[in-house]
Amino acid sequence: MRSKYLLFICSALASALQAQSPAKPDLTGVWGQYRGGRGADPKLAPPAAGPLVLKPQYAKPYEARRAAEAAANQRGEQLANGSVQCVPYGVPTMMSVAVYPVEIIQTPKQVTIISEAFSEVRRVYLDRPQNKIDDVPPGYYGRSVGRWEGDSLVVDTVGIKTSVAGYRGMPHSEQMRISERFKLVAPDVLHDQITIDDPVVLEKPVIYTLAYKRIPDYEMVEFVCDNNREYVDENGIVRMRVRDK
Amino acid sequence: MKAGYAGFLAAIAVAAPLAAHHSFTMFDMTKRITLMGTVTAFEWTNPHCYIEIDVPDEGGAVKHWSIELGSPSILQSSGWKFSSLKKGDKTTLVINPLKSGQNGGFLSQATLPDGRTVGNGPGREPKQ
Repeated sequence: MRSKYLLFICSALASALQAQSPAKPDLTGVWGQYRGGRGADPKLAPPAAGPLVLKPQYAKPYEARRAAEAAANQRGEQLANGSVQCVPYGVPTMMSVAVYPVEIIQTPKQVTIISEAFSEVRRVYLDRPQNKIDDVPPGYYGRSVGRWEGDSLVVDTVGIKTSVAGYRGMPHSEQMRISERFKLVAPDVLHDQITIDDPVVLEKPVIYTLAYKRIPDYEMVEFVCDNNREYVDENGIVRMRVRDK
Repeated sequence: MKAGYAGFLAAIAVAAPLAAHHSFTMFDMTKRITLMGTVTAFEWTNPHCYIEIDVPDEGGAVKHWSIELGSPSILQSSGWKFSSLKKGDKTTLVINPLKSGQNGGFLSQATLPDGRTVGNGPGREPKQ
């Protein structure tokens, strides 16, 4: 009898707290990339990204790769990368592919994010504990859990495999952890502040923000990469296949 | 890099990254070539759409060209439809040719059978 009474009190208390907590924003919808630019409201445009500071042993090959890419570009050639061969971008790059929008489907227990480019899907499980990094099989999307902190959706992702290119093509270890804060900065403008930490590769976490503008009534376009005519030649250069007829 | 420097500063106060399928480096974006011919295929596909076109030269010999466009998502926001071109349609294309010299290129603008001139997606509107 006493335990029933306690249960009632706890339940009433929980309901009262729920009623007092700020309403969760509804992020459901399609969101277009919003990069600001001339005439954009500085309060809505994404703030400047922080520096990417790699540990010296990773900085050297990274710097060499960037220099090789720049030299190839100067020669009028592009060096191969995964996306040229239709390999998915994974997390976090799939969140900002060219002009392609992302769709967010928000439910009480899960937030699902679909990128139109390559039809990539992330699932964020709400109010569940994160697994140890070593227990998450390395993949393109890893494992994401989230929770609401006031009006912000806070997401933690681990388990991104090292072959998935990181921020600005940075190398990363399997210890990389990606933290995101999704927040509406205006009724139709969403920011995703991304913090990447990798104690093996980075001197300090790198922080950058992506911004999105809601696209009402947009219907996502199918994207299956089944007619890829770009290929990589024996020298690692991107080429386009032409047909004879 | 200086010896003893603790880290490598790759980017300071720059905008967030932008990924894309490939760059336009393989095309000569400073050159524009006009192709008048007959469409042999219009492929509304990812990661790019393609126009295959037979182009007769002044002597009547036909050369075949493969022309790359943006993706369906990018094209549909600038007036294109999957049915905008069909096999057998006569069309005029302005393209940026491949630097390799092969008969291929990147679309700059196209004149559709309905008379409209369309570009190659947002930011790549027709120049004429």
